[in-house]
Amino acid sequence: MLPIVAYTDKLTVAPGEALTVMASSFGARTYHADLRRIIQGDTNPEGPGYKDEAIALDLGGERHAVAKAFKPGSAVIIPGHEALKGLGSFTLAAVIQPTLTTGKERLVIALPGFASLGIDAGGHLVGRLGQAEVRSAAPLTVWQWQIVSLAYDAASRELVLSSLAAPGTAAPAARPRIVTAQAVQAGPAAEECIIAATRDTEGELTGFFDGKIDRPAIFLQPIAVERLVTILADVQALRRRSDLLAAWDFSERMMTQSIRDVGPFRLDGKTRNAPKRAMTGWLWQGQELDWKKRPELYSAIHFHSTDLHDAGWSADFTLTVPDDLKSGVYAVRLVPDGDEDAAYYCVFVVRPPRDRASANTVAFLFPTCSYLAYGNHRLGLDVPGTEIGMGRAVELDRHHMFLQAHPEIGFSHYEVHNDGTGVFHTSRLRPLVDLQPKVKSYLGGYGSNIWQFNADTHILGWLDHIGQDFDVITDEDIHADGLRLLSRYNVILTGTHPEYYTRNMIEAVQAFTDRGGRLMYLGGNGFYWVVSFNEDMPGLMECRRSEAGVRPWEPGHGQFFHGFTGEYGGLWRRNGHPPNHLCGVGMTSQGFDISEPYVINPDSRTARTAFIFDGIDGTVIGDYGLAGGGAAGLEVDRADAGQGTPDHAVVLGSSVRHTDIYLMVPEDLLDPTPDWTGTQAEIIRSDLTFFETAGGGAVFSTGSIAWAGAVAWNRYDNDIARMTENVLRRFNDPQPFEMP
Amino acid sequence: MARYQITEADLPYAREFLAAPIGYHSPCLQRVLNRMRGPDWTFKYVLIVVERYSRWQLGRLPAARGGRVEAVAGVYYDNLLDAERDIFKRRWRDLTGQDLDHQLSTLS
Repeated sequence: MLPIVAYTDKLTVAPGEALTVMASSFGARTYHADLRRIIQGDTNPEGPGYKDEAIALDLGGERHAVAKAFKPGSAVIIPGHEALKGLGSFTLAAVIQPTLTTGKERLVIALPGFASLGIDAGGHLVGRLGQAEVRSAAPLTVWQWQIVSLAYDAASRELVLSSLAAPGTAAPAARPRIVTAQAVQAGPAAEECIIAATRDTEGELTGFFDGKIDRPAIFLQPIAVERLVTILADVQALRRRSDLLAAWDFSERMMTQSIRDVGPFRLDGKTRNAPKRAMTGWLWQGQELDWKKRPELYSAIHFHSTDLHDAGWSADFTLTVPDDLKSGVYAVRLVPDGDEDAAYYCVFVVRPPRDRASANTVAFLFPTCSYLAYGNHRLGLDVPGTEIGMGRAVELDRHHMFLQAHPEIGFSHYEVHNDGTGVFHTSRLRPLVDLQPKVKSYLGGYGSNIWQFNADTHILGWLDHIGQDFDVITDEDIHADGLRLLSRYNVILTGTHPEYYTRNMIEAVQAFTDRGGRLMYLGGNGFYWVVSFNEDMPGLMECRRSEAGVRPWEPGHGQFFHGFTGEYGGLWRRNGHPPNHLCGVGMTSQGFDISEPYVINPDSRTARTAFIFDGIDGTVIGDYGLAGGGAAGLEVDRADAGQGTPDHAVVLGSSVRHTDIYLMVPEDLLDPTPDWTGTQAEIIRSDLTFFETAGGGAVFSTGSIAWAGAVAWNRYDNDIARMTENVLRRFNDPQPFEMP
Repeated sequence: MARYQITEADLPYAREFLAAPIGYHSPCLQRVLNRMRGPDWTFKYVLIVVERYSRWQLGRLPAARGGRVEAVAGVYYDNLLDAERDIFKRRWRDLTGQDLDHQLSTLS
């Protein structure tokens, strides 16, 4: 377990800028902090050895470790207003599609302390007014749209709870279900209105809803549920009703946290913890697949009790990055109770100055989007079949045990929420316990078994070993700065698995290579998924895994367009930017047991490629490594002219077999037959690829996540490391490459 | 419920696994492993890292998200291949009710 965990307010910071650290105790009494530069994070005794460097910067002495809680759960908060007070007769109404209904109480609409409409722990609809309570006889149906309401007539003191299957659903009971009781208003006036949650006696949000809510509204008189069907369906008529207190149209301002009341009191609100917006509403029946074209059909929000955007912990301390601190990967190390073995590493990047280039011509592109996508992933915990893909037993490191004990820390893009729907949003404003050196993983192959950040430190360690000066820039930096930043460099090196890219990022990297830049893609399955950021919710990233790709969930029918940007989600190869076009290769297969060498293509040894093969005479390279025992493996890419590989690209070598754990990716497995496996299908291979660009640039692609594990083999003394250095030296030479 | 049921006919593949737990497997062994490593939570064994790269404790993973990982008392491993073999034997017993070592000794 982890006695202390933490996060920073940014993952990238420039010299002279401030960085704030938020930490929480999970058993630690005290801690002290120091600053380390992370050089090589793999602690495998067969590897080159763990290496970091202490930075002389006083971060203060011993501090008290304070316990802070994770508070997941999304909702809409409507701040208090006079209009909410003094309600006499009223109706609370909404159209809901609950996806979880049992185990705990869930609220649809709450006027805390006054009245509420929700679902009890047994799945029954329940309405409350003061001390009075009405409850449905039968539980609500999950995954079905239904109109629910709680109406009160102050004159007759009749409280009416109703539900009615929405038109178009295959409901067994088309007649409304109604329960009545006598009630007297006795509670205090509501201080606020909350949709999809309520407040407990301490004022904390609780009772989070799981499922969709559409068009919640409050009327100033009792209205029968049968009439609500037509009233709620017509927003234009609804907003003119004289009995309307408020009606929230979730189809407005969907790309933001803002919630708009279409009623005359303008009781606008705001979402909390980033529920899914731009989601199909109760009137969507396939009329349009793009929410931008028919936003009124995307009037639902899907709430989850497991949503988390910003952990919101109080700050422990703020440091200012020294002006002379060189660009690199750093960590604020928190040592609990003097136990260095239990230290937590809060990893971040010191980027080069914003206003001027450094002297470095080489940069490592720190793939924060991919780290975020995998952040706190639970594949070995939640998905029992992960072990099949690994071809070996799941190892649970300390941070995995922490994740299992604290699922409230929030999920990655690889999880489903508790209702089985995909996690669209992942956040860096919370501890990312797998973004640390030393940690093991599930998918890293037999050997070191490390993944993403820690695997990428094999590249950082190699750069340090060969004495190469370099800057570190992040995905978020190039998303914001584009070619302005990339153009400072001759060479950009990727990490082992730069899988997730925003449009800004992929266009910037493409522009870089088109205009003379040199790209060393030192990984596998790169440039694969479309992701997007949201200017209204910094730190949050969206991914909707549409149509194809190796994916743990689908976004749901009609929900393939991102809510943050309106972009079509899914694979970049379906969105005009196939990875083959950018780097010559694209994802073809994966397996997480063992890796293989490359067999050199003898025809590739030409004057064009002589610099790559300098000192490398063998016909087979990379039959070793820390990631599965070979340089080609884990996730592998192939050259394919049909997917955009340039005609003049040279395949320098290929892996020629893999285990039968390796299967064809679904986007290419059009007609499933049992011969698409690693021992049978030639298409399942890694192609080591090189090509020049018209602008004088060049691209070298390994098409393998395992490459870096081979670079680090034998303390970086091997043919794979030599080839990588050969390429780096030539790529860093400004002499333009010529097209063949 | 998985369709494939492990029987005595799979003993040769058990022997194949014990000889080389990680890497290339025959299609018949792979089918046995798919059954053992698939979605059945009743024998979801995991390796709890005690010391990275040198010591592991056998654990059982609960089906419920957030549930406690059960550390199996007294069962530790010093290398991963031994751990794989032991987990295989445990699952063989879980799925067939038979002791694999005994069956293999009888077979030979």
